[in-house]
Amino acid sequence: MNFLQSLKMAWRSITGKKARSVLTILSIFIGIAAVMTIVSVMEGMKEHTRQQYAAMGSNRINVSVYTWGEDANTPPTDYFPMLYDYCAGMKDLVDGITPRGNCGATVVYGTKTTANMEYKYDDDWNLISAPPDRLYGSDQYAACNNLKIQKGRDISYLDVENIAQVCVLGAQTAPLFFGTADPIGQKLQVNGLNFEVIGVYAPRLSDASAQQSNMDNLILFPYTARRLLGDPFSSEFIVKAKNSAVLNEVISRLAGFLKGKVNTQTGGYNVWSENQWQESENQQMTMIGLVLGGIAAISLIVGGIGIMNIMLVTVTERTREIGIRRAVGAQKSTIVMQFLIEAAMLCGFGGIVGILVGTVGSIILSRSLFQITIYPQFGVTMLAFGLSVALGLLFGSYPAAKAAKLQPVDALRAE
Amino acid sequence: MEHLIELRDVFKIYDEGLESEVRALDGVSLTIDRGEFVAIIGQSGSGKSTLMNILGCLDVPTRGEYLLDGISVGTLTDAQLSKIRNQQVGFIFQQYHLLPTLNAVENVELPLIYQGMDNETRRATAMAALERVGLAARAKNFPKQFSGGQQQRIAIARAISAHPPIVMADEPTGALDSRTGKEVLAFLRKLNDEGSTVILITHDNSIAATAKRRIRISDGRIVEDYLQEEAPL
Repeated sequence: MNFLQSLKMAWRSITGKKARSVLTILSIFIGIAAVMTIVSVMEGMKEHTRQQYAAMGSNRINVSVYTWGEDANTPPTDYFPMLYDYCAGMKDLVDGITPRGNCGATVVYGTKTTANMEYKYDDDWNLISAPPDRLYGSDQYAACNNLKIQKGRDISYLDVENIAQVCVLGAQTAPLFFGTADPIGQKLQVNGLNFEVIGVYAPRLSDASAQQSNMDNLILFPYTARRLLGDPFSSEFIVKAKNSAVLNEVISRLAGFLKGKVNTQTGGYNVWSENQWQESENQQMTMIGLVLGGIAAISLIVGGIGIMNIMLVTVTERTREIGIRRAVGAQKSTIVMQFLIEAAMLCGFGGIVGILVGTVGSIILSRSLFQITIYPQFGVTMLAFGLSVALGLLFGSYPAAKAAKLQPVDALRAE
Repeated sequence: MEHLIELRDVFKIYDEGLESEVRALDGVSLTIDRGEFVAIIGQSGSGKSTLMNILGCLDVPTRGEYLLDGISVGTLTDAQLSKIRNQQVGFIFQQYHLLPTLNAVENVELPLIYQGMDNETRRATAMAALERVGLAARAKNFPKQFSGGQQQRIAIARAISAHPPIVMADEPTGALDSRTGKEVLAFLRKLNDEGSTVILITHDNSIAATAKRRIRISDGRIVEDYLQEEAPL
């Protein structure tokens, strides 16, 4: 009997028992589609965070200074000016430094006010509008946050020195106040003071994903304007190292500098790299991915058990058929081969349907959740497919081999 | 001349040594020559079906020797036994044993498929066999679309499609009315006239009477081996 005939025979058996075949295909298809979709969604999540970090820029160093105990009441020193000067002294290692500080003031333009701006979502829980972040920064804020001026000019060293009443808007913020009109030269009222818009930053992310992250929705004031607006000075700073090679050098220099300045009896300091965060966040996501993948793998195994069940029933049900085939001259090996091909065909169909649905599911889910198109990984696809086919073959051939071992007459007698 | 079939003191014992021991065949010796029409007759449980299963290589004896065409069957491998069932013996069963998922001609093709015959020759050979039993016009119909008698004719077509020298029929008329039963017997007779060795298993004396040779079996032993010169029919 040649292979083509075996295929034809298997096809006849499969189409001859439609309900059984559909059930088998279903149990494989669900497993494969689940594994593929979950793994792809995890990949999408990773890629999404990677893009966020990439948008902020890498090689950022966080510096924080703190005090405790009875001296908590004593106004602590503003470390920013000395850190700024120190960083200016290592221009070959550092791109810039800026404080991390939030401004509590309400920003008003005509009838538009940040007090009325709320987080708004559409029906699919996509963020459509949000109040802007009001931030204090140095003239190097843009360098530290991977921002570039699109229109007008950035905050300058002199703006900071002179406590200029100016501000720069993020790409998402300008339309909130001014719509399509040119914001440059317009005056925003902040706690009753006029602040002139001098520039607008270019967007850092693609439109859809920027909208989601709200990253480009900000109003940046010169750091010294905090005195006009009544905010305390910052104790947290961002330093941007030139590249990853000098990152550790900069960290140790900053730590060494602060060691000489901060009184460790009444406080302390921390200097750490955001790259580490990124790594640990990545690791965390890999862990979550493994757990979810494990759950999906269980569904694949459950599917495999389903196949086993169906195959066992099938073989029992078809013992007489095996007897008839043996009586007209089929060898044991031919019978086992026939069942193997049949099981492989069923699993193959299930696998193909599963891969199709898994691919579509991955693309749709990663798009709607992360605005990124993730195509399922080839390795995962093959693993899921291979596993279910292996299960099908194993559980399809074992009972068949058992049935083929019977004397033909015993198989014929089976009911 | 060498016998076609020779059994030497053959036993088939189930649960040997236990209390439930059953001796389906209890020391059977017999010879059958080419071209014979033999009826094996016996009550239900007498061992006649067991005898046919062993003769047709569907089962193996517990003890004793079975020579088919001078070859001792006990020494053969599964592949060799399968080849004998495929090429030397055609089986006709009481319950027809057709595969419900295959149509008439595909059922008839089954033995030919296992011979590795190419598609066109196989289809032509199977159609010729269906033609002989008068069902060629309905070759594409499935077994459940046929009456019992017609299904048995398909089964006969399957048994003779590979032109085996031996045809074995186990109660072939058991599920049929007497008129269709007679047709089946007449067909077996025709095959015998054309040279096939026919072994017919039955519990019915009147059916056995149509055979030239009758072997009566009871409790696993041959109790009568009768040859009549002129069989009625």
